[in-house]
Amino acid sequence: MKFARRKTAAAIAGAAALALLASGCSSDSGQTASADNPLELTVTTFGTFGYNDLYGEYEKANPGIKIKATNIDRGSNARTDAFTKLAAGSGLSDVTALEEGWLGSIMEVSDQFVDLNDHGAADIKDNWVDWKFEQGTDPDGRVIGYGTDIGPQGLCYNGKLFEAAGLPSDRAAVAELFGGENASWEKYFELGKQYKAATGKAWYDQSGFVWNSMVNQMEEGYYTKDGELNVDGNAEMKAKFEMLADGTGAGLSANQTQFDWGNGKAFTDGSFATFVCPGWMLGTIKGQLESAGGGADSGWDFADVFPGGASNWGGAFLSVPKTSKHPEEAAKLAAWLTAPEQQVKQSAAANNFPSTLKAQEKLVQDATPNELFNNAPTGVILANRAKGVVAQFKGPDDSVIQENVFLPALKMLDAGTSNADAAWKEALTLLNDLVVNN
Amino acid sequence: MTTTVNRPAGPPSGRTVAKTKPTFKQRLNVFDVKASPYFYVAPFFILFALVGLFPLVYTFVVSLYDWHLLKGQGDFVGLGNFVEVLQDRFFWNSLFNTMSIFLLSAIPQLAVALFLAAMLDQNLRAKTFWRMSVLLPYIVTPVAVAMIFTNMFGEQYGLINNILGSLGLDPVMWKNDTFASHVAIATMVNWRWTGYNALILLAAMQAVPRDLYESAALDGAGAVRRFFSITLPSIRPTMVFVVITATIGGLQIFTEPRLFDPVAAGGTQRQFQTTVLYLWEMAFQRQNFGKASTIAWLLFLIIVLFGVINYLISRKIATADGPRGAKVRLSRADRKRIERTNR
Repeated sequence: MKFARRKTAAAIAGAAALALLASGCSSDSGQTASADNPLELTVTTFGTFGYNDLYGEYEKANPGIKIKATNIDRGSNARTDAFTKLAAGSGLSDVTALEEGWLGSIMEVSDQFVDLNDHGAADIKDNWVDWKFEQGTDPDGRVIGYGTDIGPQGLCYNGKLFEAAGLPSDRAAVAELFGGENASWEKYFELGKQYKAATGKAWYDQSGFVWNSMVNQMEEGYYTKDGELNVDGNAEMKAKFEMLADGTGAGLSANQTQFDWGNGKAFTDGSFATFVCPGWMLGTIKGQLESAGGGADSGWDFADVFPGGASNWGGAFLSVPKTSKHPEEAAKLAAWLTAPEQQVKQSAAANNFPSTLKAQEKLVQDATPNELFNNAPTGVILANRAKGVVAQFKGPDDSVIQENVFLPALKMLDAGTSNADAAWKEALTLLNDLVVNN
Repeated sequence: MTTTVNRPAGPPSGRTVAKTKPTFKQRLNVFDVKASPYFYVAPFFILFALVGLFPLVYTFVVSLYDWHLLKGQGDFVGLGNFVEVLQDRFFWNSLFNTMSIFLLSAIPQLAVALFLAAMLDQNLRAKTFWRMSVLLPYIVTPVAVAMIFTNMFGEQYGLINNILGSLGLDPVMWKNDTFASHVAIATMVNWRWTGYNALILLAAMQAVPRDLYESAALDGAGAVRRFFSITLPSIRPTMVFVVITATIGGLQIFTEPRLFDPVAAGGTQRQFQTTVLYLWEMAFQRQNFGKASTIAWLLFLIIVLFGVINYLISRKIATADGPRGAKVRLSRADRKRIERTNR
């Protein structure tokens, strides 16, 4: 008995020694990877990122690097994932994708991320459109994220449904129909009411996305440039809310669930005829059509026009958290993934729009027709739509206001259980409860 | 051993024995006898202290502060968070939802589990097959169950509404309507737990002496009478156990309502936001860790309260009838009196 116990003790001691050895090895971070000295980098992305082929390419070009990738279904879940791991102080991937909508929150703890200036950010600074690079820089001038894509918005529309309603279905004619350069939300809702009268069907899938587009388009959104809350007493925002409530009240919303759409069926069964499309949304639609078994014959197209002028919604960044054991290698990978050549490939895979100038030029040059969208040259259109985009300041609770304050209020409108005044009041109450007095 | 035998032999010898030091081996033996049991039970208590007690205490500490998820500890606010949470309409809403879903799941679940157990207790062919079958839903992960059911309960494209539509009925707003959404979530919970509870109840039923049934049958009691007069009273303690575990599980429900609406935390208007889901929203969306900890503690207290109520009820049931129960309630004087008369 005693002998056995001594044996156990020895075993425990041995295991502990091994564990110490193992941890001693893994904490050795200064080394660079090679074939003899393999190293695993973890990457977390979300939504449709289009990186799968690029990982393989990078592994091939850098022997010894093994990339372990995770993709989270959508941005809001990636937000929870990132916040949880930040709070826990461990678990973030070596390269972690951040979304513009919750970057404001991340900026409050930007010291948790590696300053990419230490890894050559200054040398590649000019790759990006200015505002994108600035968004990834914190107030102290530390660069914590390399931009991947931006979200200039064009208008997705269903040509077949337009035709059936007696509207033009040709891309240029549709852009003209909505007002071309002078396209406005008034016109958008007016056409929606015409369409509704002609077909009895909805114009947009649900109010939330239209609202996001409207707000992102404003010079100042939920926050002023100085970081003050900018909702209560914001006449411009309220007017837009009322315009949207009026449209939804007229039956223009299909009351779909966002990022669900009946597993994509809503995109194939003619539930709605228009859809607000930031670049990355084209990838989302592609995924939805695939899961619903739809293809190019579903009739979707992409017009070079957007109500209310240029708008940017979303876009992502790649960051390297301080907890990464291989910051040097991770920063190298992040820089490579966001370099213009790779952004072109990413755009081809995910249909999103690059944030680097050269990649944008390349997309315009190639003018590759997008088969799924009736062969629309989506890259060229998005480049046009990106003109005049102004970066909007995102505050710490921007994503909470979007998802938890306005979404419930808009859903009440979609479901027809409330009117403009009551829904706006509800939004203000929620804002008060969830953000102001949180 | 020898020392104790020698002791009564007188002071001189006793003193000498006291002087001889016990050998290392002897001391080790004494240590072994006295201390080992504690070591054997230690793993549980150490583990409990690490993953149970410490989080409990630490959560309480956090609940006394303004504590931001990312920025960390802020000012000490004492019980301020408790005051605010108790005035929070969403907290009470979440409690209502939790209780509603709990009742909608626990009651039908236990009734069906009892029925299933009674059926499985009969002389069936291929017993093991039937018993395994009712456990199958329990093996499937709750996430998969939630996803499948969420699909079925879809408002515009769901299977159930499609069937209702083809029968010419109005679709049910499974997600936007409060009661309908509670029914949908309770269905998921029942799907998962009914079989599990049925098996536990079945085990208890099998322990009921068969001769009781036989004599009751001879006395002319039918199957229903036998079930209510013999089976039910005999499995009461197990019923209590099942009720307690169902209560604890029911008050902590999270996965099903979380996945029922993948965008918002428990429905856009919080129609089915349970307390744990509200806790989650508070911590990871609103990033208020202090208040989230407060909610966690309040929920803990509520569960303790339910536990105490359950305990009191179960004690009542256990002592309510039967010869064993009667004996427990006798005072010492009573027992003496009985002994005397028996003599």
